[in-house]
Amino acid sequence: MTTPAQATTRPAGAPTPAGPRRRRVPLGLRMAPYLFVLPNMIIFGLFTIWPAINGFNISLYESSNGRNFDWVGLDNYRRILTDDEFWEVVRNTVVFALAFVLLCLLIATALAVLLQAQGRGKSFFRAVFFLPVLLSPVVVGLVWNWLLERRGGLVNTILTPFGGGDTGWLVESNLAMISVIVVGVWMNVGFYILILLAGLQGIDPSLYEAARMDGAGAWQQLTSLTLPLLQPSLLVVLVLSTIHGFQAFDFIYTLTGGGPVGATTLIVQYIYENGFVSPIRYGLASAGSVLLFVTVFCLTLVNWFIGRRREAV
Amino acid sequence: MTRRKLTILGLGAAAVLALAACAPGAPSGEGDTTQPPVESADPADFAGETLSYVYFTDGPDEQATRDLIAQFEAEYDVTVELEILPYADLVTSVQARLSGGNAPDVVRLTGLTDFRADLLDLAPYLGEDYVEEFLPGPVQAVTGDDGELLAVPSDLTLNGPFINVDLFNEAGVELPDPEDPWTWEEMTAAAQEVQAATGTPYAFAMDKSGHRVSTVLAQYGTQLVSDGEASLDVAAAEEALTPLIDMMAADTMPRDFWLGSGSRYAGANEIFLAQDVPVYLSGNWQVAQFAQAAEFEWAAAPNPCATECGGFPGGKFMAAFSASENPALAAAFIEFMNNTESQEAFVAASSFLPTRADLAEDGVTYPDRQADMDVFLADLVRTPDVTFAANADPAFSGSATALITAMDEVVAGQSDLPTALTGLQGEIEALVAELDS
Repeated sequence: MTTPAQATTRPAGAPTPAGPRRRRVPLGLRMAPYLFVLPNMIIFGLFTIWPAINGFNISLYESSNGRNFDWVGLDNYRRILTDDEFWEVVRNTVVFALAFVLLCLLIATALAVLLQAQGRGKSFFRAVFFLPVLLSPVVVGLVWNWLLERRGGLVNTILTPFGGGDTGWLVESNLAMISVIVVGVWMNVGFYILILLAGLQGIDPSLYEAARMDGAGAWQQLTSLTLPLLQPSLLVVLVLSTIHGFQAFDFIYTLTGGGPVGATTLIVQYIYENGFVSPIRYGLASAGSVLLFVTVFCLTLVNWFIGRRREAV
Repeated sequence: MTRRKLTILGLGAAAVLALAACAPGAPSGEGDTTQPPVESADPADFAGETLSYVYFTDGPDEQATRDLIAQFEAEYDVTVELEILPYADLVTSVQARLSGGNAPDVVRLTGLTDFRADLLDLAPYLGEDYVEEFLPGPVQAVTGDDGELLAVPSDLTLNGPFINVDLFNEAGVELPDPEDPWTWEEMTAAAQEVQAATGTPYAFAMDKSGHRVSTVLAQYGTQLVSDGEASLDVAAAEEALTPLIDMMAADTMPRDFWLGSGSRYAGANEIFLAQDVPVYLSGNWQVAQFAQAAEFEWAAAPNPCATECGGFPGGKFMAAFSASENPALAAAFIEFMNNTESQEAFVAASSFLPTRADLAEDGVTYPDRQADMDVFLADLVRTPDVTFAANADPAFSGSATALITAMDEVVAGQSDLPTALTGLQGEIEALVAELDS
């Protein structure tokens, strides 16, 4: 029996057929792409990858000074997972992140669609919505702290004629969490609007023309055309806002300090306080960081896979 | 999965495991402690050498420090590299430098807890009797477990109240007598009388700080920690804190200020400067600031008495690291900065209190607000020694944070005071056990 390979074997002495010859790329040219990214990779490796690996390593030790380390194995994880305060912080973080992600997605999508549809003043409004992104989170926290003060704060001053002039925005637990969510969304939504605007500009206008000719109204165009075609950008916003939501800290620290009574303390503040406030517990703080990394990484993967599958469908 | 990916994964895992097998830090080396005492050292021996001094500033002390450094450089023919860090970054920054083998020679600290194992024993350089030049209270904070001299107390602070004299006069309320301290009842009654008469938003304010609240506890005869043990007397603490909780419930002490800053320290000096409160409990470091910023007549008032009188101490220390390349010069610098003339110049310019026994006895002439500083100096004499030990305890800082959390729960209505204090007692005990282990 003749195999296909044998069947195609050339007889001895037959001339070699003229085919495309592989040109050998010079070594310098092959190395060029790697050399271009090398400076960035060195910085990334030194200041991101190495500290991340070292952080995992430190989580297996206990240290109060960053120099003397006692091996404790998984004790830091055991301790953190049996700490009631940690679970309270996790609850706060989940509430904040869920509300933050949902509101960012809804508001950014709505505003991006409105801005895209707007004929005049588009650039002005785009700049207005983006402005808070340029502000330092610390400044944002301080400014909103003044705005939301019970006595003399601008928000309560405006609310006084409507009977809400004595609202304790930052000193009542539930109101403080709502305040923190609102400020977080206000500070970040401009960035997500820009991402979605870029996505909207990539949609072929002729599709809308065709839809209009087929009698589709504005709502149908939005649900059947815009949103499905905007999915890749929405996926990016979903992933980024999830990461931002779980990592929120700086503006909250200056806005409420995590209070009242821990009501707005999120996981990064828990890590910060264990790592940098006496008694210093570097191992415990590192274990918290590893848990946060694993959580955000898993959520990002889930978001990504779900998004890709929908895109494929 | 391809063989290549498997190889990369394997190498990565091996690297992580290899790393995990290595302790991330290493103990710092010991310095040379065989030098002769500084008093017998010749300044010419150090000529041409360089010394690094990591410092944080409260404001007016910076220029005084620079002037003293200039004198030291001229006398010893050395260079002192002064590095001023923000206070908030001091501990982490110095720890990072120690970890990186780049320890400064000398550092100014508010507490030794985070560095105790790394500090140079100064006794071999400065002499065993050197500590006797200082007040016994602050010396407790710098004495190691085996009698080492881990630092030199360079200035003292003392918590105490300030009053708005204009508001007191407007209300016709008698000013407190610095020689005859008022009681807590008298102080809060006077504050509320002034508030009622002048219409200020609040009667009494204090910084949101476990250190400041410890003043009240000490006046009622209890401490968070003492001699390495949890020492909170729940009944005494309840008696001490009840007036504060009651005033916050009535909002005669600013409740929003207390709850709105979460776990952060918050100073109520702005409330006092805005004339929103007639009595403000803080400390002597505010004297220089108020002298500059207050647009009304104010005065330091004596600490109120309960079962004890006096305030609660704080202060700064100058320490050298055992990893210093020139421990003898570091010791000589610390000795110079804390001799009688230098310390007098430093505390006078900064409105601090002296740590030297001779200066405490003879008094310090301040260029401004002498009467107010004398109120603090008089209170220093009334302050119980146990407060110095409490403030120097390694568990104090963590216990003070837990105290603030417990008070927050009560002020927010999430707990009653006895329950919160019982919980606090347990937390302090756990903290002491953790630090002992």
